[in-house]
Amino acid sequence: MEYALPTAPGPFIQLGRTLVADALKMRRTAALWLALGGGALPVLLNLLIFYFKGHLLVKPGQNPWPQYVGMSWQTASVLLLPLFVVLLSGLVVNLENRGGWRQLLAQPVGRGAVFGSKLLLLLVLNAVAQALYVLLLLGAGVLLGWLKPAIGFQQHSISLLPVLRMLGHTYVATLGILGVQYALALAFRGFVGPLAAGIASIVSALTLLRWEYIDLVPYAAPTRVLRLLEGDTQLHVAAALTPVEWYSLGWFALAVLVGYLLLLRRPITD
Amino acid sequence: MRSVSTAAPLLESHDLSFRFGARPVLHALNLQVEAGSIYGFLGPNGAGKSTTMRLLLGLLRPASGTVRLFGHELARHRVALLGRVGALIESPSLYDHLTGRENVEATRRLRGVPAHRTAEVLALVGLSADAHRPAREYSLGMRQRLGLALALLPDPDLLLLDEPTNGLDPTGIIEMRALLRSLCHEYGKTILVSSHLISEIEKTVTHVGVIQRGRLAFQGSLPDLQRLQTGRAQLVLETENAATCRQLLPHLLAGATVAGSGTLQLPWLSREHTAELAAGLASVGQPIYGLRQEQPTLEDTFLHLTEAGRSE
Repeated sequence: MEYALPTAPGPFIQLGRTLVADALKMRRTAALWLALGGGALPVLLNLLIFYFKGHLLVKPGQNPWPQYVGMSWQTASVLLLPLFVVLLSGLVVNLENRGGWRQLLAQPVGRGAVFGSKLLLLLVLNAVAQALYVLLLLGAGVLLGWLKPAIGFQQHSISLLPVLRMLGHTYVATLGILGVQYALALAFRGFVGPLAAGIASIVSALTLLRWEYIDLVPYAAPTRVLRLLEGDTQLHVAAALTPVEWYSLGWFALAVLVGYLLLLRRPITD
Repeated sequence: MRSVSTAAPLLESHDLSFRFGARPVLHALNLQVEAGSIYGFLGPNGAGKSTTMRLLLGLLRPASGTVRLFGHELARHRVALLGRVGALIESPSLYDHLTGRENVEATRRLRGVPAHRTAEVLALVGLSADAHRPAREYSLGMRQRLGLALALLPDPDLLLLDEPTNGLDPTGIIEMRALLRSLCHEYGKTILVSSHLISEIEKTVTHVGVIQRGRLAFQGSLPDLQRLQTGRAQLVLETENAATCRQLLPHLLAGATVAGSGTLQLPWLSREHTAELAAGLASVGQPIYGLRQEQPTLEDTFLHLTEAGRSE
């Protein structure tokens, strides 16, 4: 008796199914709360600064928006954003570290789909978190206009295009960290390892900010793109990608390849 | 060349070997699981059962040898073949932050199984009432049953269950046995179930494979295993004084061991030998309180097989 070979679902169907399952697994996780609420911290800090000390920071009659957005972006990008990406990638991968891998990889989906699904999930969560941050930032500016009319948030406006461009630049700048941390999380098979490596890398990057080759270090990229924020009276952000961002994309591509090979060749013994 | 039989095994491994680093774990394993059977995969802890299960699912890459499921090579068609396989490997890996139902849903979506299956498998393993509770509140037995629900989700033709009775109470074990029998006999599933206790599965299985130190010590049907036992039957004699009997009848009681002050045990040879012994005892004036043939239990045979492997 010969058995007919069952048909395998196509690679995109496998990826889609894995992604839907992975999205369901995010319910009630720290990773999801981090992505949804992580942007609130820098916004809240700057809201308090401008509420209590805004009159000292902004000259009378000046547009407060560029300074407000710039200060907040700085708070977010230097330390909090790299830390967020490190935590997010670690938490998402760690969901599978208590036996989930053997359950997941014994299902009829390829390892490529498993790898791709988690990567897409990370990219989406990172984008959602940064978009929410911008929404909160702008919302808090409007709120400041009501609470402290004297600072001038209501009298002046901010054009959205430079803010959105900055969002894009920052997102691209975080991709290098995201890729490297994802690969590290797959390599370490635990939460603490990639977290420690990530924090050490962030601290090293910030220490080396004046090094001539710092643009090559992905963990410094979100800080390095802050230079694109220009203008006192109105915000200006250039559209073109800077070398830092190209390096970040390069790191992302390399790390994704390494991470994929790691998962592909990994014996599932846990 | 492999001969083509009329019914190709649903699952077979050919010279399957595996090593962790330099340490060999499995040696040229040739498993054959026929369609419609319940194959009990037995061996002491650490003999290589879980490693074999992982190789059969493609979680590990063999050092050499092949695995064929449904007649096709696993290494080449893993995704297609696993679509017809349900598996429970060791303690089920559940997402503790999700409810029982969400755990099933996650696997259901991953496999693209129709939505109604979630409620069906939860009912089948008796977890419908607890499906809304987070899995971290589940007892070991409930986790095991939820793991089984995940394995049954795609209505698979082949079930691979690694120690499914682990953590179950006696009622749970009996229910699991009944479930396995009904899955096999009523729904035509082929089941490979591993255990380190033969007593747990001897009432359920149709075929047995015994693994010891990474080698297959026995493989065959349950009657085959029982036949293996008959050569090891014992004759037990209850009398007044065992030692005296042995002195009086040195030839007839040559292979006997004293099991108690009034009990002798010797290998069962034949009916004639038994009659001769009874006559001999009567002739030397020793009482016979009892004379019976004792079959070793399957457990004894299992121990004998695994100990033989150990003393190699």
